[in-house]
Amino acid sequence: MATRDSLIKVTDLKKHYNMGTIKALDGITTEIFKGDVMAVIGPSGSGKSTFLRSLNLLEEPTDGSIVFDGIDITKKKYVDANGKTVNLNIDLLRQKMGMVFQHFNLFPHMTILGNMTLAPMKVKGMSKDEAEEKALALLDRVGLKDRAGAYPIQLSGGQKQRVAIVRALAMEPEVMLFDEPTSALDPEMVGEVLDVMKELAQEGMTMVCVTHEMGFAREVGNRVLFMADGLLMEEGTPEQVFDHPQNPRLQDFLAKVL
Amino acid sequence: MDSFIKLSNFPKLLPYAQLFWQGILVTVLLSVFTVVIGFCIALLLALMRLSNFCPLRFLGLDKNGHRKQRGFLAAVGRFNPLNFLATAYVEILRSTPVIVQVFIIYYGVFSLIKLPSVILFGFIRFDRFFPGVVALGLNSGAYLCEIIRAGIQSIDGGQTEAARSLGLSQAQNMRYVILPQAVKNILPAIANEFVIIIKESAITYTIGVQDIMSAVNAVKGATFIIIEPLLVATAIYFCLCFPTSKLIAYFERRMSRGDKR
Repeated sequence: MATRDSLIKVTDLKKHYNMGTIKALDGITTEIFKGDVMAVIGPSGSGKSTFLRSLNLLEEPTDGSIVFDGIDITKKKYVDANGKTVNLNIDLLRQKMGMVFQHFNLFPHMTILGNMTLAPMKVKGMSKDEAEEKALALLDRVGLKDRAGAYPIQLSGGQKQRVAIVRALAMEPEVMLFDEPTSALDPEMVGEVLDVMKELAQEGMTMVCVTHEMGFAREVGNRVLFMADGLLMEEGTPEQVFDHPQNPRLQDFLAKVL
Repeated sequence: MDSFIKLSNFPKLLPYAQLFWQGILVTVLLSVFTVVIGFCIALLLALMRLSNFCPLRFLGLDKNGHRKQRGFLAAVGRFNPLNFLATAYVEILRSTPVIVQVFIIYYGVFSLIKLPSVILFGFIRFDRFFPGVVALGLNSGAYLCEIIRAGIQSIDGGQTEAARSLGLSQAQNMRYVILPQAVKNILPAIANEFVIIIKESAITYTIGVQDIMSAVNAVKGATFIIIEPLLVATAIYFCLCFPTSKLIAYFERRMSRGDKR
């Protein structure tokens, strides 16, 4: 494989709870490259979600480093290109990382359009017209333009998750993080959300997906991470991981889910 | 047996009707201002209690810049002076009698600050009314703080996570995402606090605010009739509080219906 640009470099990432008695992450080292579609699989409680949430610091790591765009984001300060020490602006960083949650987390007191335009207007300072135009274009892409004036509660689960995806896209992130985006959906709605994600992957978006959809991981992902007990047990292409699993934990896991 | 209520006494109160009307107005104004001041104080206190301001944070970091897990310095690093002050305020105000607070504010604080002796609407003595509002406002601020804090904490954490992951700052998250939802949830509780304040405001007659209770006192002093004016006051307080709480219950039902759109 040709050399690719590194986007996120994770080194020995640890997350401990309760004075270190619970080790959700116990030393994860991996690298995410531009254009990667990385599927993170593993049994529940393996630390997949914690790993994903650490990437944009929704969880503060106990130890280790995450280098994103050349900056170690686990530190409060960093040295910029001019050699000056500046405070890390966490909000600026999170703009570049879109995140989609299992439970959608749309803002219930705002319309779909309001949900989509809030961050572009308040964070990026976009004008209302510009933000709405962009939001409608994005909604059109996922076939929900006619629901722009609706409230989240009026939408189905699948529709909500599609809105959540384009809401994150409205900030034009460099990488999209998906935290079990289809786990809270009725089975018949899983497909519509996966289709949107597939399309996104084909357009070259860098994606990290914690998922239980093995079909999706195999078909769309170019890399698969298998985690268990807070450790990265195996990593490889979908063929390697699904067809020739080496780690006994992975073999056991695949026997159960496939 | 002699009844302790003499119907013949009620007509004797008629000349003092004006006092009661003025008392009602004072009580209502007092309660409204108290709730407004109380809400502003409470919002500030609640945000202080939920803030993440740890100036000594650097003491609790290890050499790699990560937070220490245990030890004295880890506790020092987590110390939040804003939260400490707000919590102390709330606990002190909630653990002492209102009348003590009212007296301290009136005889203590406002003996240092000279208020102009303005008469509002021709009968409200500003130099009594204002300390009353301040004292009750400070008191209800402590109670409302806990209501607001609970309201904010009742909003699903996923909302904050979604807002922050979109790049909104902590303040923007509060203002655009959390507070609009929280305020809707806590409006009934705030309205209930309003009813409580209407009743509690009776205490301010002790510092010379001419509310309903002070009208009772005036009648008592002039005519030596006690029970009958008290019954009138009881009726007035009931007529103020009962419909208000029924109104709140009505709006509460309507608002929860809105959620099920």
